[in-house]
Amino acid sequence: MRWRLWLLIAPALALLLALFIAPLLHYLWLSGHAQSVVTGLEPRPVGAQQWLRLLNDGRFWQDAGQTLRFAVCSVGLELILGLAMALLLHQPIRGRAAIRTITLLPWALPTTVMALGWRWIFNDPYGPINQVLQALGLQPVGFLANPALTWLALVWADTWKTTPFVALLLLAGLQTIPEDLYDAARLEGATRWQCLWRITLPLLVPYLLIALLFRLAQALGVFDLIQVLSGGGPAGSTESLALYAYLNAMRFLDFGYSATITLGSFVLLVLLGGIGAVLWRWRPLAGEWR
Amino acid sequence: MPASFADATAPLVERFNKSQSRIQLSVSRGPLDTDAVSDLAISSLLLGSSPYDLLLMDVTWTPKYAAAGWLEPLEQWLGSGALDDLAPGAELGNAFDGHLWRLPLVADMGLLYWRTDLMPEPPQTPEELVAISQQLQRAGKVRWGYVWQGRQYEGLSCVVVELLQGAGGRWLDQGQPQLNSAAARNVSRWLRDLVILGITPPSVANMTEADALQTFETGDAAFMRNWPYAWAELNRPGSKLAGKVGITTMVGAVGVPHAATQGSWGFSLLSGSGHQSAAIEVLRFLTSAETQTELNRRWGYTPTRLSVFTDPALIAENPVLPELQRALAASVLRPLTPIYAQLSDLLSREFNAVITGEIKADPGMEQLQSNSERLILSSGARG
Repeated sequence: MRWRLWLLIAPALALLLALFIAPLLHYLWLSGHAQSVVTGLEPRPVGAQQWLRLLNDGRFWQDAGQTLRFAVCSVGLELILGLAMALLLHQPIRGRAAIRTITLLPWALPTTVMALGWRWIFNDPYGPINQVLQALGLQPVGFLANPALTWLALVWADTWKTTPFVALLLLAGLQTIPEDLYDAARLEGATRWQCLWRITLPLLVPYLLIALLFRLAQALGVFDLIQVLSGGGPAGSTESLALYAYLNAMRFLDFGYSATITLGSFVLLVLLGGIGAVLWRWRPLAGEWR
Repeated sequence: MPASFADATAPLVERFNKSQSRIQLSVSRGPLDTDAVSDLAISSLLLGSSPYDLLLMDVTWTPKYAAAGWLEPLEQWLGSGALDDLAPGAELGNAFDGHLWRLPLVADMGLLYWRTDLMPEPPQTPEELVAISQQLQRAGKVRWGYVWQGRQYEGLSCVVVELLQGAGGRWLDQGQPQLNSAAARNVSRWLRDLVILGITPPSVANMTEADALQTFETGDAAFMRNWPYAWAELNRPGSKLAGKVGITTMVGAVGVPHAATQGSWGFSLLSGSGHQSAAIEVLRFLTSAETQTELNRRWGYTPTRLSVFTDPALIAENPVLPELQRALAASVLRPLTPIYAQLSDLLSREFNAVITGEIKADPGMEQLQSNSERLILSSGARG
């Protein structure tokens, strides 16, 4: 009967193999070969040379730091704001359906479109924000002309776009929490604050985790938003790993090194995931939340 | 080809298809953005069998595409005299490594736009540009002096190339980077000073051609660096600046010829094409004097053929042509090398760092020099 089992999961396995394992193996092979305009696009075996180059590539590590910083900050903000938004949308208020639809709009916009929009909003001096500042007699601010501000602009634009996604996930989670838990707690004299910390949040943990995983994976691969809004500038301060890999493949036609960068990012991601998993197991609140 | 070219050539393509029955030409309308067109082309070429026969290519792509083995040399089809009718400057950037890879359709070069209503003559040197700007700014005539492309992208490299040449410097000399030269340091310091002196807004650090044009168009700036397309935009009916704008070449040091970064578009034959002789016939038609005349008349495209530039009837319609021809003659190319994109990436990144004050001009240029040297060494490519 065993073979039947395998037969049943075969389509899923084949899909996984074709879409995930095969490209991964191909990249692994490619990272051991130089394939660029210099070699006339013919793959030439170079051993670990490109991996050594990656280890010594200051730009890779700088981009890794920048990508991580971007992901942690934007996802952190999104979780906090998304939770607040979900709690709000869960309240039985008038016009709730309409409000839910409206809050989802930013998420429904294609990233490039919204990035172009934000680029215009942050424009110095003709964008709306600077028009307001100037009308108030203040100096216009070059939001996209300074590394720190550009970074903030990117985090903000990403938060604006994906908070609704987080809110949607958490809202689904909120709706699974039975009302009687709150009724019971209130009978015991629990405050709203206690209800939030002792009931809502612990029961929402699986949903928070899903949101965190989805968003972290996306944010660590951030590409289109940065490409449109800042092009990785100023001075390379907002370049992400995905942008660097793209530059190497599509602009420089250096496919070998691009594959190495992508795999390097993958390794870092797996390490990060491992650390996260260990921390989660050791979490101080483990007992309390069970 | 990019969408704008596809739209502009559509009537010509239709006429070509009606004029004979052997060749049916169809044009793929690509994206607008240069990089996006390149992505599309490269994706299809990587598959091995590209569906295209001809590709309309930016000047900086040629060595890269040729080195990748995607292009077919044209001299065997067009003969050695293929470039004879080109205006001086337009012949540059079509040959690489001893072969002709591309025949230009449209010329493009960096121009200095200036306000004829605010000054009698355009500036010749960087110092004059600064002086005129400050005078006009003090008098309250303009908010800013000079707007240009300072975003970390190819446009900034174009700005630097013509300034560097005009300062007596070079990007590469015989394959070796010359970016810690006095000329390069002066250029980067000057660009930073423009921001410090308030002649250029700090937002230049994220400015593209479109952003610069927007500032200039509203009358907020006395000078702008841009390509010829801006001319038609500034002089269209209803424009605030119609008839108040002049074009000239970029400022440069006394005694050094002025320079204009060349950025032409031309057709290449793909080596994977199954219809090479038909494609060559199309290529001839699309780069012909007749085509270029029509594209200039209807869309203001800058021609590459001398006979079109000197056509009295066309000059009467478009009096700016001789000025464009002069600028084209001052053309300077970005380095012709398969690793140009990497070099340009390093350059625009470092200059952007200097402009935003992340690093001082001198150490910035030292860093750029050593990074460029390392790149050339490690890739083993000739610069």
